[in-house]
Amino acid sequence: MNMKIIVCIKQLVHVYARTGMNPSERFLEPEDKIPMVNPFDEVALEMGLRVKESLGQGEVTLLTLGPIIAESEVRRCLGMGANRLVQIEADQGTDPWRKSFFLARAISEIGAGLILCGKESLDRRSGQVGAYVAHRLGLPFVSAVVSVTMNPGTGTVEAEKRAGRGVREIIKCSLPAVLSVDMGLEVRLPRFEDKQRALSAPFETRVYSEQGDPARTLVRTIFPPRPRPKKVFTPDSRLEAFERIQQLLMGSRVEKKGTMLTGTIETQVEGVVSFLKEHGLAGKKRE
Amino acid sequence: MLTAFDALLFAVAVVILGAGLAQWSSRWLLGQEEVRKGSLTTLLRYFLGSRKILKRPLQGSAHVLVFWGVLLPALVALVSQFRPRLPGTLSNLVSLFLDLLGAATLCALAFILVRRCTKRQEAGPKRTVVPVLVLLGIVVTGFLAQGARLSILGAGFSWQSPVGALFSYVLPASPLLMQWMIRLHFFAVLFLLASLPFTFLRHLVAGSLNVYYKRQNPAGQLRSLIPRSNVPGAGRVSDFSWKQLLDAEACVSCGRCEENCPAAIAETPLSPRKVMQSLQAQMQGGFPLLEQSVSNDEIWSCTTCMACVEHCPVFAEPLDKIMEMRRYRVMGQGALPSEAKAAIRNLLLYKDVYGKGIARRTDWALNRGVPSRSEQTEVLLWVGCSGAFHPRYQETARAMVKILKAGGIRFAILGKEELCCGDPARRLGEESIFAEIAEENIRRIKSHGFEKIVALCPHCFNTLKNEYPSMGGNFAVVHATEYLADMIRLNRIALKYSLPARVALHDPCYLGRGNGIYRPLREIGKAIPGATLLELPRNKEKGFCCGGGGGRMWLHEKPGKRMNLLRAEEVVQSGAEVLGTACPYCLTMLEDGLKNLETGKAPKVMDLVEIVASSIR
Repeated sequence: MNMKIIVCIKQLVHVYARTGMNPSERFLEPEDKIPMVNPFDEVALEMGLRVKESLGQGEVTLLTLGPIIAESEVRRCLGMGANRLVQIEADQGTDPWRKSFFLARAISEIGAGLILCGKESLDRRSGQVGAYVAHRLGLPFVSAVVSVTMNPGTGTVEAEKRAGRGVREIIKCSLPAVLSVDMGLEVRLPRFEDKQRALSAPFETRVYSEQGDPARTLVRTIFPPRPRPKKVFTPDSRLEAFERIQQLLMGSRVEKKGTMLTGTIETQVEGVVSFLKEHGLAGKKRE
Repeated sequence: MLTAFDALLFAVAVVILGAGLAQWSSRWLLGQEEVRKGSLTTLLRYFLGSRKILKRPLQGSAHVLVFWGVLLPALVALVSQFRPRLPGTLSNLVSLFLDLLGAATLCALAFILVRRCTKRQEAGPKRTVVPVLVLLGIVVTGFLAQGARLSILGAGFSWQSPVGALFSYVLPASPLLMQWMIRLHFFAVLFLLASLPFTFLRHLVAGSLNVYYKRQNPAGQLRSLIPRSNVPGAGRVSDFSWKQLLDAEACVSCGRCEENCPAAIAETPLSPRKVMQSLQAQMQGGFPLLEQSVSNDEIWSCTTCMACVEHCPVFAEPLDKIMEMRRYRVMGQGALPSEAKAAIRNLLLYKDVYGKGIARRTDWALNRGVPSRSEQTEVLLWVGCSGAFHPRYQETARAMVKILKAGGIRFAILGKEELCCGDPARRLGEESIFAEIAEENIRRIKSHGFEKIVALCPHCFNTLKNEYPSMGGNFAVVHATEYLADMIRLNRIALKYSLPARVALHDPCYLGRGNGIYRPLREIGKAIPGATLLELPRNKEKGFCCGGGGGRMWLHEKPGKRMNLLRAEEVVQSGAEVLGTACPYCLTMLEDGLKNLETGKAPKVMDLVEIVASSIR
């Protein structure tokens, strides 16, 4: 049996800074954003590749919804070892329920033994799409998975998931299944050879022109967080006047409170211990 | 004189020599193709100067004596076969010279023999004793023959041959003895000649060839990828180019690289000598995978400080091999150490190794009136990722701006258009990401029409100066220290405020060994009023690496001691109050090192740029 693995990858524009001056552009400059593939999805791909390697066979298909906006990153994902990429062109909007419609349709067309996706996306973080896809396909769903063990003989998979507060659950379910993957695995670097191959790999495009299900959520507005109130900086009185003035001139640098421990590892540890003792946080037995 | 039989023997020896050399050279000629131009002048200058070998004065001079003490008499003997007519005095002088040279060679050989027999290290040169004994035999039989001849002539002391005369006093006037000695002498020479390709003496040929094909560009310039089908770098010995294999063959395991390698001194698993020797061993036994003999820890312990390249007496380059193996492991196998993966990802996404992003690249210059490109701009100040993002080095960047402004220099920065120069990716073995970034940088610099670039960081400097030209970026690049030294010399800035302190200098590898820049650092140091300049025990070519280069900044310190601590101890012991350096990595590593030592009053680490700025404020 050839194991078909589908990994859903979301391309997104990651906003890492707001350096603009214009409120109408939400204080964004072009260089404040970088197109990338959702890091959770990259981990899901890594998991898919590891499953493929542990089985010794299989095919990993990347599935992405919407236009290709991060081509180099998508190609990098292909270079990591995925076999092909299927792109869905549809009017999907931002609603998870609508998105899952198109994804589920593509997945059922391609056919898969295991569907992996990221636990959530870096930009919207709804964390719902995977669950909706599973619902539409009528498949079992496990969220926040950090590792999997496949049992191809019995057609089941054991998924270890994060259950919060350090608790791990191991959930066994039948295949095919949808797993949403949490951070954890170390994502591999593509080898040069594969990267070169991926540069010219064709994308397979599926155009879905139907309306799909209506959106169940509606985005009213998007607004950046209110900037944190700036703390007035107090220069360190131990410094020379010149350096104090220079620090003031440096303006909005917000210093973190507390003392920086220096010295060897041993003395730093001593510092931490004595701090904890001083504040009654350690050292005494709790009643 | 040569009889027909002798000539036949000689021919046989030469044939064996030729066959041996042919068999030996087939070993390294299997390497990949590479175009290298040889330089006869380099070779001649190398032989006549013997500068490299004399860096160890005692052993070096013994080596030089043996070299000339064997070569010159052999030449004279060869020439004398044609019975040239020489005026009496000249031939007497030649005789005197050869006699004295022979005596000196005898001493040198004895010294070498004693050293080889007493200092037997595991990794030291192998198969050396027999050739040295044969050489010794040649010189001794030569003197015995000469002594016997003088004794037969009964001339007593002769000034043309003082040492031979000494022998003649104790030798009988026996023609038979003289004949025997001449025979022995001749046979020993033939034996040496025929056995040359199979013993340690092969290094005569291998070393000379390696010097002949020596690279003519600065040591900081990494070789480009060998264009080959799919495999980047070297996974097997046969993936190296022929010159790289010749390098390995030329290695005599003298250990000078190891003595100067910071990784070896810090007791990490890496020894450049061991790398070269295991390559040599692999070339003889099939072509197994290199991973079997050179471990990951070894490869990733290298700081690419170029000490091994600098100190190799035959210009072999262990660094070059290590880089090739890194390339294979990273690009061929995707096996970059996990801690460095983040840096590479950041480089890809944010175009800098600190992962702060282009949007924040000019934050250090905010409200400081740092000019961007205009009509009158003369030079481009290349700030680099450290200058732009590292909180400590941002101060240096600001200091540089202050100095340039004080000097009335019309400069500009690329600002948000500047990307990482690509050095970290390249030294970590990720050649394709380096190429991507470098091409983009070159395009941007060109589009603004900059021709002269002042680079703040030695690593950027080296990359821009040495590695961009092969990708089409020919710019006049100078390092900040060079530029400041020029400004001081031309009186464009006045250093008014004194720095009454003992200032020690730490040579960054990529300035010093990489590009031969030592003087400007010292000129700047001397120009600072009130400062007393100190040299650390390991300085200039012997300068000790801080441990941050070659991507080590983004790798964990696993085995061995920490290089920055070793250097920091040296700095403290030198009694310096200020340590002047010129590299962001050195600054960070040594500052950390000095803090970790916890001495009472640790020397303050400053970039020379900062020292100059503090003097003009």
